[in-house]
Amino acid sequence: MKIKSLLLLGGVGLLWLNKSQAATIISNKTSLGHAYVKAMPADDVTIKGKITDKSGPVPGATVTLKSNPGIGTSTDGDGNFTIKVPANGILVVKSMGYKTQEIAIQGKTVFNISLAEEDNNLSDVVVVGYSSKKQGELSSSVSVISAEKLKGVASNDVISMIQGKAPGVVVSSASGDPTSAPNITIRGISSINGGTAPLLVVDGNILGAYGSEGATYSPNDVESITILKDAAATGLYGSRAGSGVIIVTTKTGKAGEAKIEFNSVVGFNSPSTGNFKLMDSQQLYDYQKKFSNPNPAVLNTDTNWWDLATRDGMTQNYTVSASGGTEKTRYYVAGNYYREQGTVVNNDKNAYNLRTNLSSQLTKKLKLSLLLNGVFTRDNYANSNSLGDGYLNLPFDPAYNMDGTPIDPRITPSWLGRDVENFLHSTQYNLSYARSLNLSADVNLDYNIVKNLTFSSYNRTTFYNTFAVDYYDKRTKEGGATNGSLYNSTSYKNRLLSSNRLKYENSFGENHLTVLAVGEAEKSYYDEANLNGKNLPAGRPVMSTATDIISNPSGGTNEYNFSKYLSQVDYNYAGKYFAIASFVHENSSRFGINKSGGDFYQLGASWILSNEQFLKSIKAISFLKLRASYGTTGNAEIGDYPSLGLYSIDTGASYGGLPGASPSQKGNPNLTWEKQKTANIGLDIGFWNRIDLSVDLYDKRSNALLFFVPLPSTEGYKGYFDNVGALKNRGLEFNLTTKNFTGEFKWETNLNMAFNRNTILKLTNDKDAINPGGSQPSAVGRDIFDWKMPIWAGVDPNNGDPLWEKVITDADGVSHIAVTNTYAQATRQYTGTSASPKFTGGFTNTFSYKGFSLSAFLNFVYGNEVYNNSRAYFDNDGLYESYNAMVLKSGWTRWEKIGDVATHPKPVLGGNHDSNQQSTRYLENGSYIRLRNVTLGYQIPENWLSKIKISSARIFVSGDNLWTGTKFSGTDPEVNLSSGVSSFRYPLSKKVLFGVNIGL
Amino acid sequence: MKKIQFKIYTIAIVFAFGLGSCKKEVKPSTAIDDQSALTNPGDIETATIGTYAVLRNATYVRSAHFLTEYQGDNIAQGQPSSDDLSRCYRYTHIPTGTHGANFWKQAYYVIVAANKIIAAIPDNATADLKQLKGENLFLKGMMEFNLVRVFGRPYVQGNGANPGVPILKEGTNTTSPSRNTVKEVYDAALSDLLKSAELMSVAKSDIFASKEVAYALLSRVYLNMGDNANAIKYADLVISSGRYKLLQGADYGSYFTKTPEANAETIFAIRYTKTEDQDFGAIGSMYYSGTPGALSTPGAQGNTGYGEIYASQQYVTELDKNPADLRHSFIAPYKINGVQQVNTKISPNVPMYYVTKYNLQEGIANLSSPVYLRLAEMYLNKAEANAKLGNVQLALDDVNIIRSRAGIPVLTVSAILAGKTILDVVLDERRLEFAFEGQRAYDLFRNNKPMSRNYPGTHALNNTPNTNITQTILPTDARVIFYVPQYEIDNNKNLTQNP
Repeated sequence: MKIKSLLLLGGVGLLWLNKSQAATIISNKTSLGHAYVKAMPADDVTIKGKITDKSGPVPGATVTLKSNPGIGTSTDGDGNFTIKVPANGILVVKSMGYKTQEIAIQGKTVFNISLAEEDNNLSDVVVVGYSSKKQGELSSSVSVISAEKLKGVASNDVISMIQGKAPGVVVSSASGDPTSAPNITIRGISSINGGTAPLLVVDGNILGAYGSEGATYSPNDVESITILKDAAATGLYGSRAGSGVIIVTTKTGKAGEAKIEFNSVVGFNSPSTGNFKLMDSQQLYDYQKKFSNPNPAVLNTDTNWWDLATRDGMTQNYTVSASGGTEKTRYYVAGNYYREQGTVVNNDKNAYNLRTNLSSQLTKKLKLSLLLNGVFTRDNYANSNSLGDGYLNLPFDPAYNMDGTPIDPRITPSWLGRDVENFLHSTQYNLSYARSLNLSADVNLDYNIVKNLTFSSYNRTTFYNTFAVDYYDKRTKEGGATNGSLYNSTSYKNRLLSSNRLKYENSFGENHLTVLAVGEAEKSYYDEANLNGKNLPAGRPVMSTATDIISNPSGGTNEYNFSKYLSQVDYNYAGKYFAIASFVHENSSRFGINKSGGDFYQLGASWILSNEQFLKSIKAISFLKLRASYGTTGNAEIGDYPSLGLYSIDTGASYGGLPGASPSQKGNPNLTWEKQKTANIGLDIGFWNRIDLSVDLYDKRSNALLFFVPLPSTEGYKGYFDNVGALKNRGLEFNLTTKNFTGEFKWETNLNMAFNRNTILKLTNDKDAINPGGSQPSAVGRDIFDWKMPIWAGVDPNNGDPLWEKVITDADGVSHIAVTNTYAQATRQYTGTSASPKFTGGFTNTFSYKGFSLSAFLNFVYGNEVYNNSRAYFDNDGLYESYNAMVLKSGWTRWEKIGDVATHPKPVLGGNHDSNQQSTRYLENGSYIRLRNVTLGYQIPENWLSKIKISSARIFVSGDNLWTGTKFSGTDPEVNLSSGVSSFRYPLSKKVLFGVNIGL
Repeated sequence: MKKIQFKIYTIAIVFAFGLGSCKKEVKPSTAIDDQSALTNPGDIETATIGTYAVLRNATYVRSAHFLTEYQGDNIAQGQPSSDDLSRCYRYTHIPTGTHGANFWKQAYYVIVAANKIIAAIPDNATADLKQLKGENLFLKGMMEFNLVRVFGRPYVQGNGANPGVPILKEGTNTTSPSRNTVKEVYDAALSDLLKSAELMSVAKSDIFASKEVAYALLSRVYLNMGDNANAIKYADLVISSGRYKLLQGADYGSYFTKTPEANAETIFAIRYTKTEDQDFGAIGSMYYSGTPGALSTPGAQGNTGYGEIYASQQYVTELDKNPADLRHSFIAPYKINGVQQVNTKISPNVPMYYVTKYNLQEGIANLSSPVYLRLAEMYLNKAEANAKLGNVQLALDDVNIIRSRAGIPVLTVSAILAGKTILDVVLDERRLEFAFEGQRAYDLFRNNKPMSRNYPGTHALNNTPNTNITQTILPTDARVIFYVPQYEIDNNKNLTQNP
C-alpha cells in the first residue's frame, strides 16, 4: 500500500519530490478510484456539489452511495465534490459533528447541501499544534477551554483562569500577589531538575515554557485554549513538550457587520485569613507570662499589624474591541486595561494591552495575516517587610506617633519587636516597581502552491524589555546604613522565530490523508544590566544623583537557539478509523556539543465505534470513540548553558578590585535531551447527546532525566547536570459533562478529576535518593515529593518537652521506635505523606433561565500535606519572644502542668529543645475545596435595548474565592504544589466583582 | 505564474532547511570555557585572583567567623535567634547546621580551585608562575588548617590521631575521599605552606599571600600542634623580615577601619572592597549598629546592623582593669544622651557594648576586610611557645611589647599574681588582644583549659533554670568541634560523623 509506505516514510520525503512525482502519486490514487467506478452499471451520472454549513464550506465531508458504501468521495478544501453514481441512487453525506443527511438524486446533477450541526462540541474546530481539527476526530488527549468557559475568575493571567477547568491540569499558587504568576503542571511532575512548566504556543508559534517569557496576549483576547496532554498531541513540539503544551489562540474577526463590544468589570478584593489568627496584646501578654516577665505596661498598646499590612483593594478590567470584515479581509482590534490592587499595602498590577489581528486573502492562493500585540505593565511591589511585619510585629509596639505619623522604631528605645521595623514608616519613602513592555509581531503567509499543497510561513519577533527599581530612602531603616540606595536593573530580550510548513491534504474515496513537513528555527538573546547606587538625597530615586556605587555594575548576555524538522502523516478512513504518525528531529544550543540533537516520534490511532453499523442501533449511545497513542517528547528547560564547563568571570570572581576567574560549573559535553515516553488510552462516550464522558489513562515515563547530580564539596562544585534516572507518572483523568435540564430552564454540570501517581524508577551512581538530606529526598520507588523528616512524637506529659521519634536498631537488626527530646538524635523518617495531592479537580454547575444565568465553580485538591514553615516563627514555644504568636487552632493545646497531654510543648524563653526545627509538627493537611467562582448574570432583553440602540447587554455579579473548606492552620492551604511549603503566605484575595458587557 | 510558483517552492525549501541548519554552540558572556581557563600565564594569574575570590565569598568568611569566634567567652548573644549562629554560640550544634555546611563547602571550593592551578604549574616554572603556585598552595594550606580545627579534635588530644578532614591532592580526583587523621591534615597543611614559602618571591600587599604570610601561618599551625620551637622560629622569621610594624596610639585605635593595604601591621586580610559591602549580611552587622548620618556613633539595634552580639560582661570587666587600655577602641558602649543602655532581652539585664572590629572600613557601616594574620600574633605566639618551654622572661618580654603598645603597664616576673602561671598571663593577654578574631576557643582548648562563661547571654537558655548564667565547656567536650555537614555525608558515603 502506497499510503502505508508514505506513513513510514514521513512527510520529509515529500518535500524532495518534484511536482511530477507528486502528481504521479496523486494520479495513481485517482486511478485506484476510477477502477471502482468502472465496475459500476452504465447508467451512472456525474454529480457535482458543494457542502456547506452556516459558516461556510465543509471540507472533508464524505459522500457515499447508500446502496453501496464502497462508492464514495469526500469534499475538497472548498467543500466541492464530484461523484459518479446511479441516477436513482441515494447519497449519504456525513461529516463529524454534523447531522447525517440522505439525499435522493432523482436525476439531478448539481447539489448544494447544507449540513446542520449536531448539538455537541465534536464539530468544534480545535487548534492542535501545527494544524486544526474537529474535536471528534482527534486521536489524542486534549482539553479545550473556550472563551466562554474562561469567564468568571478575574485575573490578568490566563493560566490562573484555567485552574480546575481541565482534568490533569494542576494550577497552584503560593501567593495572592497580583504581580506573581501561578505554577502549572500537566499530568504530574515529569522532570526533576528541568523545568516542569508546560510549553505555551500562541497563535501557532512557540512562545516558550510558561513563566519563562512575558505574555504576548491579554486573557480578554483569548478565543480558546487547547491543552495537549499525550505524546500524539504534544509530540510535534519535540524537545520542549515533555511537560505538556498549552495552545492559546486569540480572537479573529468574522465576516459581516462590524461588532463593537465594551466589557467592564469592577470589584473589590479582601484578604482571606482562613483559620489563621494572630494574638492581640492581652493574648500575647498572657502567653508570654508563662515563660517570661513581660512588663504589664505593654498592654497599653494593642496594634493589629496584620490589619495595617493588608487592605481591601480594587480590581478593574475594561476592554473595548472592534471586529468584523469582509470575505477577504478580517480584523480584530482590542484594547484592554487591567488593574488589580493586592491585599497587601502598596502592591498593585497595572496592564495595558493592545492587539490587532488582521488577515487578508491577497490572491486566490495567498493569504497574509498580521498579528500585533503590545502589553505594557507596571507592577508595584509591596515593601519587602510589609507582609513579614504584619505576621510578626508585636501588638505591644505602637504603629503611629501621637501626631499620627508612623513611628520610626530605630529612634524609639521602648520598641520591643525583634526586627525593629515599622513598614509604615518605610513605605512613606521607599519604592519598588517594575515596568515592562512586551511587543510581538507575527507575519504569517499561507500559499496554496497547487491544489492540495499549501506552504505556510509563520514568523514572529518578540521584544521584551523591563526596567526595575528598588529605592530605599536614607530616612528609612532599609536605606539608613547606605545613606539611601537605589537598585536599577534593565533587561532586554529578543526572540526570532520562523516556522515554515508544507502541507499536503487529499482524499481518495473514503481515505483522507494529510502530510505535514515543518522546518523551524528559533533564536533568543537576553541581556541585562544592573546598577546599584548609594548616598542619595532624601526622596531622589534617580541614578544621576547617586554619588557612590554599592556593588560593581553587572550584567551579561544569554543566548540560546533551537532548530527542528518534523513531519507528520495523518490518515483517516471513512470518518471511523484515524491514525497519526510523526517524527521530529531537533537541535538546541542548550545541550552538550556531542549530543545536541534529539529524535522524537509519535503514533496515535482512534476508532469511532458509533459510526459503525453495529452500534447505530443502540440509540442510547450517541458517540463512542476509543483512542490510543504512544510517543516520545523531551525537555529542554534547563537553563541556557548547562553542558559547559565554566570559569565564572563575573563580579563574584574578582578580588581586591582585580578581575578574576573561578570554577563555576562542571561541564558535561554528553548532556542531552530528557525524554518522556507517554502511552495514553482514552475513551470518549456520549449518551443521548446529554451526557459526555471522557476518560484517559496514561503512563508517562521520563528517561535520561535532566538531573543536577549533587556532588560532595570535595569535588569543588555543587553538582553537575547529567541525564540520569527515570521516573514515571501514571494516572487517570476524566471529564464528565451532563445536561441535566435542557428546556427553558437549563442546568449543566461538569465534573473533572485527575489522579496522578509519581514514582522515581531509577537513579544512577548507586544513589537511592536525589537529595538524601532533604525534606523531600525523592528516593527510588517513591513519589518525588514524599516527605521525610523527624517525626513529631508529641509533648512529654511529665515536663512539657518536645519529643521526636528515634529509631533504634538492636543487636538483632530489629528496629524499635523510641522517643527523644534531643533534636540532633531524632531520626529522619518517611512520614508516609507527600506534597503531591492524591487527586485534583473541578466541579461546575451552570443554570440558566430566560436571561438569567448562574454558575458556581468549585476546585479541589485532596490528599497532600503542606509544610507550614512560617509556624517556626510564630508558633515556637518561646524561642522568639519578640515576635507575635499565632492563636492556637481549635483542638490544639499547650502543656501547662505535669500530666497534660498537649499538642504544644511548654514555652521556654529561648525555645524548648529546638522544638521549632523541621519536623512533622509543621506538616499539615493541605486538602481543600474552594468556591473559586460564582457568577450570576442577566442578559437584558433586546427589545429593551433597541430603544437605546444597543444590540446586546449583559450584567453580572461574581465572587472569587468566597469560601474555602480546609483544616489548614495558616491563612490558606494552597501552595505551589511543586514545593509543598507555605511560608508567610501572601493572603489569597476574595473578590466581589460587578460587570457589564455591551455590544453596539 | 509557473515561474513564481517555482520561486516560492524554492524559498520554501530554503526556509525550511536553510534556517535550521546552523548547529552553533553558544557561550555565556559572564564565564569562560574551563578548557582554556589555565592555558597561559595571564589566565593563570586571573584564575589565582579567582581563588582569592572563592575565599572572599561570604559563605566562607562569615560562616568561618561564627564557627570560630562564637564558641568563645568574649562575646554574648543578646537575644535568642533561630539562625544557626545561635547554635555555634550555645554549643547546641546539629549536623544540618548551615554555618558548618557553608564553611566546609566553600573551604573545599578554595582547595579545588587552588589545586587546578597548582597542578597546572610545574615546579620549574618562571618566578612569576612559581609565585602564583605558591599563593595557591598557601590558600590550600590555610583551608586545610582551618578545616581541621573546626571539624577535627584539637591536635594535642591524642596527638592528632582523631579523624580530621579529607586531604585533596592536586592533579588527582577522588570522588569520595574519606577523612584523614588530624595529624595527616596538619602535615599536609605544613607541607603546602612550607612549599608555598619556598616558591613565593614577590612581596605582594597584605591582601595576597607572600613568603612572610606563609611563615606567619606556619607559626600558628606549629603552635596549635604544640611544636613550640617551630612556632617561635617562624614567628621570628616574620618579625625579622621587617615588613610589618605594630601600629601605635591612635593609629592602633583605628586599626580595623583601615583598608588592609594601608595597615602596616596586617600580614594577611581578606579584602572586601567598597562594592563588596555585605551590609546586613556582614559579620559586623551582628556586632554593631550605628546612627544614620553619624555611623561611628552607636545607634539602636537594627539601624545599620542587627547588633545582637555584644562584648561579654566578662571581657569588658577584664578590659576595664586598665581604663587606659587602647583596646577599648574596639568596643563601643551604646548610650543615649550619655546614658548607658542595657539589654532587657536577657536576664539579668546587662549594659550593651558593641564590637567594632568589623565595621566602618572606608566609612561604610558594615564594610570590613577581616584580618586573618597580624604582627601582634607573632609576638604572642612566641610568648605562648616560650611560656610552655619554661622561658618565663622571654615570654613576658613579648607580652610586654603588646601591653606597652596597648598603653598599659608592663608586667614583671615577680608581679605575676599567685595562682597564675606565665601561660595564664600570655593567654590573658591574647584574650585582650585578639578578642573577636576567632582565636579564643583555640587558645584555651589547645592548652587543655575549659571555657568558662559567667555572664548574661543566651547560653544561659541551655540551663534550667535559665537564670543560671554560667556555662563551662571542657576541652574534651564533644561539641568543641562541629558535626561534619549532613549534606557531605549524604553525598559521600566514606565520610564518618563526629560523635
